[in-house]
Order: sequence, then structure tokens, then C-alpha cells
Amino acid sequence: MNKPDKTSRRRFLQAGGALLAGNAIGSAAATDDSPQSLANAAPALHKLLRRASVAAARGARVVIVGGGWSGLTLAKYLKRFNPAFDVLLIDKQSAFISFPISNSWLADQVSLDFLSHSFFDAANNNGYHFMQATVLGFDRDSRQVYTDRGYIDYDYLVLAPGIEYDYARIGVEDSEAQSLLFHRYPGGFVTGSELLTIKRKIHQFAGGNFLLNVPDGDYRCTAAPYERACMVAAVFKRRRIRAKILLLDMNSEIKIKKAGFARAFEELYGDYIEYLPSSLISGVDVEGRSVETEFDEYAFDDAIIYPPIRASSLIEEAGISDQYSPQKAARTDPFRYHLAGDERVYVTGDSRSQPFSKGGHTAHSEAQYVAEVIAAHALEREIDWRSPQTMCFSAVDIEPLRAMSIITYYRFNQQSGLFAFDRTHLIEKWDTQGGQASLAWAEGMYRDMFYA
Amino acid sequence: MKIARYISYCFLTAILLSLSTLAAAVEPIRVVLEFTPDLDNGRHTFDICARCHLPEAWGNNDGTYPQLAGQHVNVLMKQLLDIRSGRRANPSMQPFVQQRTIGGYQNLSDVVAYISTLPMNPEHAKGPWPPDTTRHREGAELYNRYCTACHGAHGEGNNELAYPRLQGQHYSYMTRQARLVRNDLRKVEPGMAEMLKTIPTIDFNKILNYVSHLPVPPADLAPHAQWRNPDFQ
Repeated sequence: MNKPDKTSRRRFLQAGGALLAGNAIGSAAATDDSPQSLANAAPALHKLLRRASVAAARGARVVIVGGGWSGLTLAKYLKRFNPAFDVLLIDKQSAFISFPISNSWLADQVSLDFLSHSFFDAANNNGYHFMQATVLGFDRDSRQVYTDRGYIDYDYLVLAPGIEYDYARIGVEDSEAQSLLFHRYPGGFVTGSELLTIKRKIHQFAGGNFLLNVPDGDYRCTAAPYERACMVAAVFKRRRIRAKILLLDMNSEIKIKKAGFARAFEELYGDYIEYLPSSLISGVDVEGRSVETEFDEYAFDDAIIYPPIRASSLIEEAGISDQYSPQKAARTDPFRYHLAGDERVYVTGDSRSQPFSKGGHTAHSEAQYVAEVIAAHALEREIDWRSPQTMCFSAVDIEPLRAMSIITYYRFNQQSGLFAFDRTHLIEKWDTQGGQASLAWAEGMYRDMFYA
Repeated sequence: MKIARYISYCFLTAILLSLSTLAAAVEPIRVVLEFTPDLDNGRHTFDICARCHLPEAWGNNDGTYPQLAGQHVNVLMKQLLDIRSGRRANPSMQPFVQQRTIGGYQNLSDVVAYISTLPMNPEHAKGPWPPDTTRHREGAELYNRYCTACHGAHGEGNNELAYPRLQGQHYSYMTRQARLVRNDLRKVEPGMAEMLKTIPTIDFNKILNYVSHLPVPPADLAPHAQWRNPDFQ
């Protein structure tokens, strides 16, 4: 168990004091990045410097940053594999909204209740604590996590903070322009509000060009942008509006379930979807409503713009990014998930450095394994590595809901030093059984993370 | 032939309706239903299962999924019904075995009949102590003393009584389940639970090691580990 470390607390307070002093000097120069008045800023900053009010740890405390599929699963299974752990899950959101199945929700195949779940339920049903807070950083020497509600001591820290949009990679570099683009044409892969805006957009769309894109790189949920095009098209078709969906793919071809999606675009949505591969977006004109690619410009009436992604900036700010990772993922042990040289801090979920498919199911199966790794570490044991499992359903048609699916594992190739897909089972014909299975799958996952 | 045997085979589904909300004197009612399995429909229904269990139903060497291929129909049926009712906790599988997803008893009967006819994984995960080691020999002695009455001298199980066939099951899966039972995270029949809690873990692992090395009759095995279920090609 970690004792509150007075020395490090003092160091942290000194650092805070230095920050205040720095701002006092800065205020003379009146830069845009510092508060104008130290006197007004001080009470706010002091809130950060106190110990957060959470129940005293009754065993080794594991703090998990991020209540997504990875964090929720870790919290549950850490308690399960080692009931002596005191587990605290932190998320900045007040409630959970599932991104998997959200495309089916866009087309009214499930209700918002189906996707929405409470962190309190998850914590109460699985014997851990939840705190709604924003994590600002952490200190590995003193083993403390800093949040907007104070600091917390940890014995183990699991970072599962997920992803952020990297708008610079589609030529939008200015932070104000990024913010405007995010609010006006959200991508729908990071926060629940984005999803609500997207649903309103497609249900109120009056006609014309509706632009969607597929990012490049290792983005979250490989099949989702193609599935979303199908679901948006299905809504337009049902509403009988004259609309064209411009699906700009920054990749040279459909990245997953290629034959299935290509057939759906042609057979079901030939009048609606125009698929445009190798469309490298190089700029977005928010006010003028157009997207610029290497060779073309596409005017749109409304859009969902999903930029390439990167690991949460928490990783980079903590100085633990892998210098070779284009998505600024953490430098971790690929089999044990801990930071290089620090077996107290782990990185999981979509900010991991391994090239596993980013998505809910991968994060869920991976988290069960990592929970076992950490439980074993606490007992000074080791367990064998096992592959995460990626399971991915893609809705293609509605009324009734019809879906395709793929499942895969990963194998580490000793010679190349790379992970490759293993034992992949792809069902590219879409059917109602797949649609039913997709909902059963999601229900089972929610049940596991929140209620069982 | 296995398939023919099961087409003509009718098995029983027992449902215990516990009327516990009524007076304590009310006895449980046992309803017995009979279904003749339809293997074609079983294959069709297995499509849902195969999305996670894969078309071969061979399980995972890491112990996260069991080998289902070649298992007794009544064992498979019991697990499906236990998971459906929540008696066996498996939150992520539970929605798949509800009537709204997989269908009614006929579909369950069909799918377990189909699974039982699938050829088994010729390279399932075996325990760490091969034959001719002391621990293997000790495992054999313990197995013969405690386990053969229900699971059979060769780990063949008992379909009538729904005792699982252990031959060919992944060692990693069996040790994982044993741990769940020991930690009260999985309920099994009282006799089995007693066994798991009485026999020390190391001895139990020796038993499971021995079981994992028991030969599977060659006629029940797929020709090689790269074999893929032609029904799903």
C-alpha cells in the first residue's frame, strides 16, 4: 500500500507555487496563455492542490483513467481477480454512451436507452469506486494522479484515456479553426454530444450533398465509417429525400469487409452513396462548406468529418509517448502493457501502442487480460500472454436490421517482430441473424461491464 | 455414423419450474420435453454461435473458450439452458442464448446436435506434464480414484447424465473453470464443487493435466489443425 508521501506532496505544492509565481511574472507580459490576475486564479488553482475526497484505500489502490470499454472492464476484472484491490475509475463524463451500435441507433434500430449506461451502476455492481473528474497529469515518483478535483495516491495506475482527433492531419492546424470544425461537423467517435448532433443532422437533412469520410492511419473502429454511410443512406432512403452521400475515403480501398460493403453500396444504396477512394483531405472550409483533397474540391450541404486520430494528449504531456509512434501512443511493453521500466503504470485501450484494431470488443478482451497481469504482478507472479479478440459487427440495412461480422485474433511473429491477424472469421453476407447477433453482442458487453 | 445416430436420437430437456413465491409446501414441477434434432437447421443456427466460437467450435488454447466440438448433446444443452437462465453466469453470452436471438428449444436442440457432430481439434492445449512424468502418473491415480465414476475411465463423460466429455478439452480452459468454482464465481453440481474445494489445487491440476493428455478416438478428430469447417466456407 502506498503511504501519502509528504516529500512529494511538498514538491507538488512547490510546483503549484512556482506555477502561480510564473503566472505572476507572465501577467506583467500579459500573454494570451496566462490568467490576467493571480489573485483571481489562486483559489481555482488551490482546488487542484488538495487531496481529492475519495474513500481511503482499503487495499492496494488501482486508479484507472478513462471509463470507456477498456477502463470499465479493467475495473470489474481487477476486483474479480484480486478482491483486495481498491479500484477507482475516473472519467470526465457523467454517463456512458456506447459508440458501438450507435450507427444502428442513428437509423432508429435501438433506443438511446440501449446505448446509455451509468458509471454508478457499473461501480456499485462490481465493487469499485467511480469519480467524475478530469485527469490533468500524474507523478510517477510520488505515485499521484492529479485531477480537477484534487490529487489521488495510487499503487497501480492504468491509463485508458482513449483517443483525440488530430485535425492537423487534414490540414486544419489553427486551434480555433479546429474547435469550430469539431462543433459544426463532429466526427462522432469521442463524445456523446457528437452523436446527438449527428443524429439530428441526418434526420433533418433537407437534401443535397451529405459528406462523410474515412480517415487514414489506425483510426477507431475500422468498419464504422462504412457502416455509418450505410445507415445514413438507409435513413435518407426511408425519408425519400434527394440526397447524395459523398464518402471520401482517405485510404485507397475499403479497409474491411470490402466485398460486403462494396455490394451494399451498389445493391442497396446505388442512388445514394458515391464512394470516392484515395481522397486525401488537405483542408476544410467550414464557413464555405467544402472539403479540399489533393486533386478536387467537394461542396457539401452538411457533413460528418472524422479526422485521423491520435492517442490522448495525456500520454504525450506525461512524456511517455513513443517517439516513433505517428499517433503519439505510449512506449509500453507490448505483452505486459506497462511503461518501459515502470510496472506500476499501464496503458490500455485505444491509446495503446500495439497495432490492434481500435474498438470496444478489442478493448474489452484486452482489459480482462491486463487485469490478470496486474493482479498477478501484485502477487509477484506472471501469466502467459494471450491475444486480444476483435469482434466487429457492421449494420448494412434496416427494417429488419441486417449485419455482417468479423472476428479475429492476433499472433506475434518473432521473426518480423510484428503482430499479424490470426484465425480470422469473416461473414460478409448480411442477414437478420447478423443483425440480431450484433444487438445480443452489445447487450452482453453492457451486461458484463455494468450489471453482472 | 454419428450424424445418423443423432438424427434418430431424441433427447430430453428438463426444466425445473420453481414456484418459490407460493407457499413452501408447493413442490417443484418437472416438465420434460422431447425434440428430434434437425441438423440442417442446427448448422444454420450455429451461424450465430460461430461468430464468436468460430466455425470449428474448437475453443482457444489460452482457455478463454472451450472446445465444444464432439461434446455430448445433453452437456451442451444443460450449459445453454443454465446460461440462458443466469444459473451459470456468463454475461456476454447470455443475450445470445435467449429465445429472441437463438430461438426456442427446437433450435437449441438442433444446434447442440450439430455441434456434437463436429470433428474435434487435434491439437488442443495440454497440461505441462507429459506422460511418463511423476505428476502425470499422480494425476492418473487421482483421476482413477475420484473422477471415473462420472467422467468415465477415458474421460468420455456421460450423455444421459449430462456429465461432460473431458477428452480433448483445453487444459487452460479446465484450470480456468476450476479456479472460478473455487472462488465461488461459477456454480456446479454439489458433488463436483465439493471435489474442487477438497482436493488441493496442485493435485487438481495434476488431474486436469492427465485428462488433457487422454487420447481422443481418432474417428472423432479432424484430420489436421488446419482443417476448416466446410459448412462455412
